[in-house]
Amino acid sequence: MTVDMTSRTYMITGPEPEWWYRDLISCLQSTFGSLLIREGADPLAVLGAGWQFLHLPGDVRSEEFYYPCAPDESGAADLGAALAPHHQLRSRWWQPADENDVWREVRETLAGNRLVIAAVDNYHLPFRPAYGDVHAAHLVVIYGLDETRGVVYVADAMPPAFRGAVPIEEFLRSWGSANPNDVQDAFFSDARIGRRCLDVRLDAPPAPLTPELLGGYLRTDNEGFTTATSSRTGLTGYDEFAAELLDRCRAGDAGALRELYPFGWGMQAQASLHGELLRRCGRQWDDPALAGAGRAVEAVAHAWTGLRFTGAHGLDDPRAASPDIAHHTTVLRGAYARAVDAVGAVAARL
Amino acid sequence: MTDISVSSARTGLCDTVDISGHRNNTAISAATETKAGAFNVWGNSFAAEYLPAGESLVHVDGVPFEFPPVCDGPDNVRCAGQFIRVPEGRYDWIHVLAASERRSEETVELTFADGSVDPEPLRVSDFWAAPAWFGEVKAFESLVMHYPHHVQRGVPAVMWAQRVPVTRRAGLTGILLPRNVAVHVFAVTLQRTES
Repeated sequence: MTVDMTSRTYMITGPEPEWWYRDLISCLQSTFGSLLIREGADPLAVLGAGWQFLHLPGDVRSEEFYYPCAPDESGAADLGAALAPHHQLRSRWWQPADENDVWREVRETLAGNRLVIAAVDNYHLPFRPAYGDVHAAHLVVIYGLDETRGVVYVADAMPPAFRGAVPIEEFLRSWGSANPNDVQDAFFSDARIGRRCLDVRLDAPPAPLTPELLGGYLRTDNEGFTTATSSRTGLTGYDEFAAELLDRCRAGDAGALRELYPFGWGMQAQASLHGELLRRCGRQWDDPALAGAGRAVEAVAHAWTGLRFTGAHGLDDPRAASPDIAHHTTVLRGAYARAVDAVGAVAARL
Repeated sequence: MTDISVSSARTGLCDTVDISGHRNNTAISAATETKAGAFNVWGNSFAAEYLPAGESLVHVDGVPFEFPPVCDGPDNVRCAGQFIRVPEGRYDWIHVLAASERRSEETVELTFADGSVDPEPLRVSDFWAAPAWFGEVKAFESLVMHYPHHVQRGVPAVMWAQRVPVTRRAGLTGILLPRNVAVHVFAVTLQRTES
């Protein structure tokens, strides 16, 4: 049930959305985290349950919220399923069907007491550091709409965290922005926002996490890392990705480094959450080896820093950056191998 | 600003290291010239008004550091495999003031007079509104973040005090920094082995 303040006011019931944040995640995980909290779920237990490597050549978009999603048989890609492969988390992108009433679906979703995740361009959002300065594709949570007062209520956990009203006109500029190419942000600009929104649903409440349940997740994911497939998955998929990245850098292809930053963020965030969850479970269950495996997965996340930022700083001269890119792909490969080994060892006995 | 009371016993064992010849990045800027700093690829920088005076002696958790110049040229070493020579001696800890563009877990190579080389971990948390993930001490915090065109409230920039163990009982002669542009070192202090 919603609080129907006037016929043109829509607000979720209960408290405003909680912020959910970690220093290695992006707006993608933070917005999903806020929605999961509202569903009564623990974001870390859901978003940290899975751990994979997947690179889809040609798929990377210059958006803070890019995450690789393999399409299913129908060709549809489900971001929720990619983020939480062991849970019934589902999502679908949508855009307003009626150009003359772009708020219709938002009203309907809020009227159903559900949150909306909306893509925006930070350039037009007054509370973002990039306001009036830098174009960048970002996600926020919409939790209310007051067309009488002319405001939309937005929550954003990414620093500086914000929760409150934004004038509708400003939000519309952000939501409908072309997000043009911006030399100040080569990684998250040049991707049309197009009033995209995400409909996210948790179809079943997460089962309480037990060693047996987690062991099943870990065995599945470990098989994914150690089994070669026709896609760039697992350790062999990483090797293909790294080899191509190096080849492109050596050929002076700056596009390879532009893609590395947003792609790597997804992989880094996922590893950090999975590692944190394993460490937490290891502590709760008095299982030091599980905690240590979590720490090994976190080391993967930390190794992504070196690769991503070497690429970011090397954007102007990929050839010159290639020796350091080679170094960091090697370091990261080692971190993956150690983590897969550590996780495999605990998965075998959980 | 943090200036934790000096542990005189520890301070007496500490020697600051001159890294001025290696500084290659400017991470601190004045509010009137935020463009002068570029800690990261987006040109963010620490706000000078929240930090100690340039080239002053500061103490963090009882460890003295020579703070770098402030708003007067490069103030930190962006790690690119630089080799820092140190006075040969027996040390237990290498203390650093450092910050990272996102969390970094790196390796420094310690070179000893007897020809041995030991890799040791250098773990540095993110400078951008982040916790001390590796258990560092928060040394200094700029309560605002400098962007090239404005001063941003609500996003702090943090400089960490971290330490690296020297486990080998031999004379240390140098420190090889990692090849990782995300890691920035502002000051280095050696803590001698108690005789």
